[in-house]
Amino acid sequence: MTWTCVQIEERLSDYLDGLLSGAEQREFRAHVDACAQCAPLLAQVTHVIGRLRTLEPEPAPAALVSKILDQTLGPRKTKRDWFGWLPMLWQPRFAMGTVTVLATLLIIFQAAGVRRSDITAASLNPVRIFHAADSHAHLAFARGVKFVNDLRVVYEIQSRLQPASNPAPNNAAPPSAPSQQKSPNESQRNQSTNGSLTFVATLIPDAPTRSPR
Amino acid sequence: MEPDAQLVQRCLRGEGSAWEELVRRHSRRVYNICYRFTGNPAEAEDLSQDVFLRIYRTLASYRMAYGGFPTWLTSVTRNLLIDHYRRTRHDRVTDSLEDVMPKVEEKHSPVRTPDKAALASELSAQVQSALSRLSPDLREAVILRDLQGLEYNEIQEVLSVPEGTVKSRINRGRIELARVLQEMGLRPE
Repeated sequence: MTWTCVQIEERLSDYLDGLLSGAEQREFRAHVDACAQCAPLLAQVTHVIGRLRTLEPEPAPAALVSKILDQTLGPRKTKRDWFGWLPMLWQPRFAMGTVTVLATLLIIFQAAGVRRSDITAASLNPVRIFHAADSHAHLAFARGVKFVNDLRVVYEIQSRLQPASNPAPNNAAPPSAPSQQKSPNESQRNQSTNGSLTFVATLIPDAPTRSPR
Repeated sequence: MEPDAQLVQRCLRGEGSAWEELVRRHSRRVYNICYRFTGNPAEAEDLSQDVFLRIYRTLASYRMAYGGFPTWLTSVTRNLLIDHYRRTRHDRVTDSLEDVMPKVEEKHSPVRTPDKAALASELSAQVQSALSRLSPDLREAVILRDLQGLEYNEIQEVLSVPEGTVKSRINRGRIELARVLQEMGLRPE
């Protein structure tokens, strides 16, 4: 039996949904393959159905469920969640600020010399924090100056710039403490410290120079 | 996951949590049927609330003979949509198929390829526009079959019409929708 275009159009969905028998499918295809009108129609309907089935369901409005429940079960008491605000802190904008605050506190406690196990209310006293930070800063500066002065290259530079102001290491003996036995290294360090001060002083035009003692 | 029939029984015993679970489970589907039929998100939201309010009030009259709970829910949704359509059709500017259909403007050489989300959104808008051009009978048949994925026998239960009528409406709806979308520029690649 040869199908007409009208029959093809009437049974189009049956064909697409697999409701035709084997023989009907063959006759259907035979007509469509040879018909310039039915072939594009089948292609277009097939395409549209395919695209419809790829569409994701639209999301329902956020308040829909609560509105329905309010209308049916009545307004519900919202429990006060004391910690409901915590998840909000984990948004990127709040997380950055939170991390910065924690890092700042860590640095302050580090500078104040407060140990994690010793944290008390008194640890947060601003005066105490300031004094602790001040002493830490001075200690760090003094260690830095000592480190620089102990460098051999610094010593070499100083000794070349002002060789006359540096007495021979073996004869060095501080007159103020003759009973003290100082090691040559310690004598050198004293001289190098004094020498460095002298060296720095020479860079300042009007600064008085002191002879090393 | 607890079956719908069991949740219904718990609802009838007064358990609010069971009703809440039913609402959460089916609200999105009901909303989508309403949205695809009306094309208006605000109307769809209002109609969805009306559907669940009707279901809540008539839950005691639900019987398994009506079919599964989803089928009954879809049937109530469809009835409310048709009632809404009849009440508001005088307010509509036009719903005639003879109107000039908007064509999708061809976009020339975009700087960068639209992402999948944008394409999906555009397709959704095109489909919605095309669906609004169909008569209500054909529109609901296509929505239930090709967007909601219901089987022919389920659609027959929802619409309370013979199977032949269901097939005829789905077929004509698909062909009409394809022609409208073709005029809007959606063609097989």
